[in-house]
Amino acid sequence: MTTGFWHQVSAVVHRDLLRERRRGDVLWITIPFGAIALLLIPLAVGTDAILLRQIGPGMYWVIVMLFGVLVSVGKASNETLPQQDASALLGLDPAAGFVGRATSATLLLLIFEVVVGVVAVGLYDVSIIGIPWLIVTLIIVAIGLALLGTLTGSIVNSTSAGTALVPLLVAPLSVPLLLGATQSYEGLRLGHSILSWVLLMVAVVLIVAIIGVLTARPLQET
Amino acid sequence: MQAQTRNRQWPWVAIGLSLAVAFTLSMVSPADSVQGDLVRIMYVHVPAAWLAYLAFFVTFVGSVGYLTTKDLRWDRIAAASAEIGVYFTGLAIALGMIWAKPTWGVWWTWDARLTLTAIMFFVYLGYLALRRTTDDPVIRAGRSSVLGVLGALQIPLVHFSVVWWRTLHQPPSLVRPDGPAIQDPLMLTALIVGVLAFTIVYGSLMVKRIELIKLDDQKAAIEQSIERPVAGEAVTVPDLGASS
Repeated sequence: MTTGFWHQVSAVVHRDLLRERRRGDVLWITIPFGAIALLLIPLAVGTDAILLRQIGPGMYWVIVMLFGVLVSVGKASNETLPQQDASALLGLDPAAGFVGRATSATLLLLIFEVVVGVVAVGLYDVSIIGIPWLIVTLIIVAIGLALLGTLTGSIVNSTSAGTALVPLLVAPLSVPLLLGATQSYEGLRLGHSILSWVLLMVAVVLIVAIIGVLTARPLQET
Repeated sequence: MQAQTRNRQWPWVAIGLSLAVAFTLSMVSPADSVQGDLVRIMYVHVPAAWLAYLAFFVTFVGSVGYLTTKDLRWDRIAAASAEIGVYFTGLAIALGMIWAKPTWGVWWTWDARLTLTAIMFFVYLGYLALRRTTDDPVIRAGRSSVLGVLGALQIPLVHFSVVWWRTLHQPPSLVRPDGPAIQDPLMLTALIVGVLAFTIVYGSLMVKRIELIKLDDQKAAIEQSIERPVAGEAVTVPDLGASS
């Protein structure tokens, strides 16, 4: 494989999406799991409509963080050692592999966010406000989670703990994204500027992307 | 032999002396006009929090050092520092909670500094958990150093949280643009000496812990090099009496 960087990225994205189409991990497991979680919360905290409308956006983002990370981790940690060796022997640039896996995870996360969002709107009667900014927030969170999940998935790949360790690593690291997403919605609801929260999320995304690209090769070597 | 014993004992002597001085000063310093004797928790809480920052920053430096040089010594520094950092972060959180109950009326409040410190604690707990999943020192170093770099994102967030958000937790006591918040010279001296004493404790623990990690690595290497019996070697072909 002696093609350019972006060609390699698109090949990895194509491979991951094809694998998802065949196995349906996200569509048939993670999305229903997230929807069930949204259904269970009112049973625990009460079914009062006003309360649910109030906590709905926050619950939605927590579900996106906790379940969405499974989407990106799956893409990164499902590769077996022979598959990794084959990719390396084919000359796949580790950075292109990282960007490709993160891109496919972003696309799947966006689908996850939209479907679970529809469920949240239906169950919690959440009002949709500031649609352009909401779309921007959804995209940034999807990219950020995809990058974090892909990076931590690469770190834990082939360790004895495997994916069991990933939630412990990703959940604390995704806090700036959770804060940014929830505060952006709150800002839109109150009519305040959300630029500072968006910038915080963009900064996190950029830093994680840089770390991911720079450490892709050392991680492949281990 | 005597020199070796002296070398082994100096960290404990340093720890004992520095802590004794810090303890004496914190006891003779005056009680606060508002908080009373409760303020004495600050003489351990602030140095513990300082050590947490220092330790995690050293973990970051060690991780970057390993990624750039591939020298395992950097990884040992990062690992030892993370262990000490997790311990002192836990201590700072526990002491903060003990102080908060009589002062704020609750053990825990959803304050930005408190919450982010707890999150930082879990980030490095994850770092230590990751290290336990791999036996090979080189693989372990490669993976944990990436997390060591990633985890450092939390340090500025935690420190500046009291500046960026309007929080219940007071702003920094010592490192401020307009000078230390504490006006009483004896209280300020006790606090600074406490910070220095804890830094000596950190340095001494680092030396000991790095030695231990090095010995652990050597032990693992020896164990791997020893020729061991192959699994199933004791199983022999059963004699079914076919030859007779």
